[in-house]
Amino acid sequence: MRTLAKRLAVLVALLTVAVVPALAPQAAAGKLSLWRLKTYIPPADKILDANAQDCAKKVGVELAIQTYTFDDMWTKFTAAIESKTLPDIAELDAVGPARLANLGRLADVSDVVAAATKELGPILPNADGAVKFGGKYYAVPHYAIPLVLFYRPDILAKVGAEPPDTWEDIQRVSEKVKKAGVQDFPNGFPWNRTGDGYDPAMSLLWSYGAAWVDKSGKFTGIPKAQGLEALKVVTRAYLTDKTSAFDYLSWSGATNNEVFMAGKITFTPNGPSILFQEESTQHPLLKDTAIKLMPRGPAGRNLALTFVMNWAVPTDGKSQKDAKALIACVMARENFVKYMTGSFRQMVPLFAKPQDDPYWNTPTGKIIVDTVKQGHPVGWPGPTTPAAAEVVSGNVLTDMITRVIVDKVTPEAAIDEANKRIKEIYDRLPVK
Amino acid sequence: MNALTDRHRERLLGYALIAPVAIFLGGLVGYPFLSAIYLSLTEKTVGYPAHFVGLRNYGALLESGRFRIVAWNSAAFTVGSIVVKLVIGMAMALALHNVVRGNQFIRGILLLPWVIPTVVIALTWKWLMDLFRGLINVALIDVGAVKGGVHWLGDPTLAMVSVIMANVWRGFPFFGVSFLAAMQTVPQDLYDAAAVDGAGGWHKFWRITLPSIKGVVAVVTLLSTIVTLNDFNIVYIMTRGGPGAATHIFATYSYELGIMSQRWGLAMAASMASLPLVALLIVGVVRYLHREEE
Repeated sequence: MRTLAKRLAVLVALLTVAVVPALAPQAAAGKLSLWRLKTYIPPADKILDANAQDCAKKVGVELAIQTYTFDDMWTKFTAAIESKTLPDIAELDAVGPARLANLGRLADVSDVVAAATKELGPILPNADGAVKFGGKYYAVPHYAIPLVLFYRPDILAKVGAEPPDTWEDIQRVSEKVKKAGVQDFPNGFPWNRTGDGYDPAMSLLWSYGAAWVDKSGKFTGIPKAQGLEALKVVTRAYLTDKTSAFDYLSWSGATNNEVFMAGKITFTPNGPSILFQEESTQHPLLKDTAIKLMPRGPAGRNLALTFVMNWAVPTDGKSQKDAKALIACVMARENFVKYMTGSFRQMVPLFAKPQDDPYWNTPTGKIIVDTVKQGHPVGWPGPTTPAAAEVVSGNVLTDMITRVIVDKVTPEAAIDEANKRIKEIYDRLPVK
Repeated sequence: MNALTDRHRERLLGYALIAPVAIFLGGLVGYPFLSAIYLSLTEKTVGYPAHFVGLRNYGALLESGRFRIVAWNSAAFTVGSIVVKLVIGMAMALALHNVVRGNQFIRGILLLPWVIPTVVIALTWKWLMDLFRGLINVALIDVGAVKGGVHWLGDPTLAMVSVIMANVWRGFPFFGVSFLAAMQTVPQDLYDAAAVDGAGGWHKFWRITLPSIKGVVAVVTLLSTIVTLNDFNIVYIMTRGGPGAATHIFATYSYELGIMSQRWGLAMAASMASLPLVALLIVGVVRYLHREEE
């Protein structure tokens, strides 16, 4: 009996030595993880995934792709930052590179940018501010989804108005539309807690010369006179002329698309996704939908580029070399153009050459590309910094507007409050 | 001596048997809870180390006008929701208590709102209350009750009423079913005796039903208060805390601070702000139930 037990023990030991290594998980080398944004354009997402998988084969790695939406991006990344489990390749939004580079969690990808520049031409100077810090690139600009002004040319024709070019124009035309009884609340600018709120809020303030930092990115505060002018024009729509409904302040991300396509508003700021939705569903309003550059103000047309996606290589990853090679491959001209031309004109390149592609040579295409060319990074006229990111993500700018509209605070007090909040943020998060 | 040893053994065995549960609870409940309290006492930004700052975050919140609005909104949302749920839940239980035919079927139907995922409920109510396309406004205009659409989600007061309505719709079946279950344990003899004494419906409810089920009422109200105070989905989906900050509550505010602004320390402090109130409620209810048992 004892002999049998001994034999069994030896057998188990041998089996353990022989089998366990075979069952052990494969080493991490040769595998990459990639997190990307799930966009409103599923066909484009498919092309991107196919490109990435082809590139993975070329690089000789196995690629696992995970997605997130604009709404849950920072939930996912916050957990990963804290648990040090960021992916090998991360597609970050406009403020992501600044936040993660400031934490020392991104690899220098200047070499990948140099390779991409050879194929795609130089990066737009305006896009640099969101990805280049201390002379080094910490992310490769992938694409921008610019916010454009959607409007209804048929309604404008009905009231005898030209397409608006300034913030005041929008207000004037909205009044005409309302007075003509065409729509009750034609002005669909939502100063809410989504990108459709804070992106136009930056464009508005900057167009009135009311930036909160100087060129070095240091806090200067929203100048009172310019800030008041900007506030006056947008709060009037809600408080005096009633061309906007308070409900717009509670809209979530897609509501303005739906309301515009339901024919209830004349103007709304949005990415080109309304065009995609109308085209793909052959929507009856497609023929009556037009786009224009977002309005200019007394200080010019200073548009915000908030929806910018960038490839980055977090230092948590073990295979930074492979990760960089994969990004370089995805950004290779052939792959990038295939993706861009399959994006229904949503994904605008931030490199010069693909912007000149005949694909953009359409009336809407030109406006979309022009918007990106004229766009400024979050935190303009300085670079994007973690503090600038928090001003946007903390809804400081839209809160300033809604304090006047909803809480009936004076515009002066609202600007003072906003400046106090912004100063606290910049004091707490100094530029490294 | 032997007996003492046995008692020791028994005690040790007892500890050994409850050890897995104690470790499990300590790990899953105690550790995160204590971590949250600790984080609320630190200046902690995501990705950076935490620095102990004592009660500074709480002080900052108390000074913040925004937090005061959020605290007020949270109180209004919670109290408003609970009171209405209590009334409708009680009405539902009383009605079903006297229904003999189809009781199970009706109970099943009324439980539906509680079973449907909150996200679906919030999206449905958001659509129902839409200014232009919402069923409620369309119906009101069609019957001539209003000329233009009601700004359910735009007017600051109505927006709060709207999120409360959605919350009530989701939560009242829990009240109703719990109250009904409790009502069914009340002996029929009590009602018969009261009837002989000439008691009417109201007296029976006030003198027999309510005192008999008050323990359940207290527990259900407490549980629902805790859940409602921490609600996130309904407000986030329906209004995102808007218009302005008119429906911003503890959960959405903490999310904004912790995830969007990456300020974990402050976000934890904002989340913990309701803890004393909840703790008081729990202690109060537990003591009450204990007294009732005695």
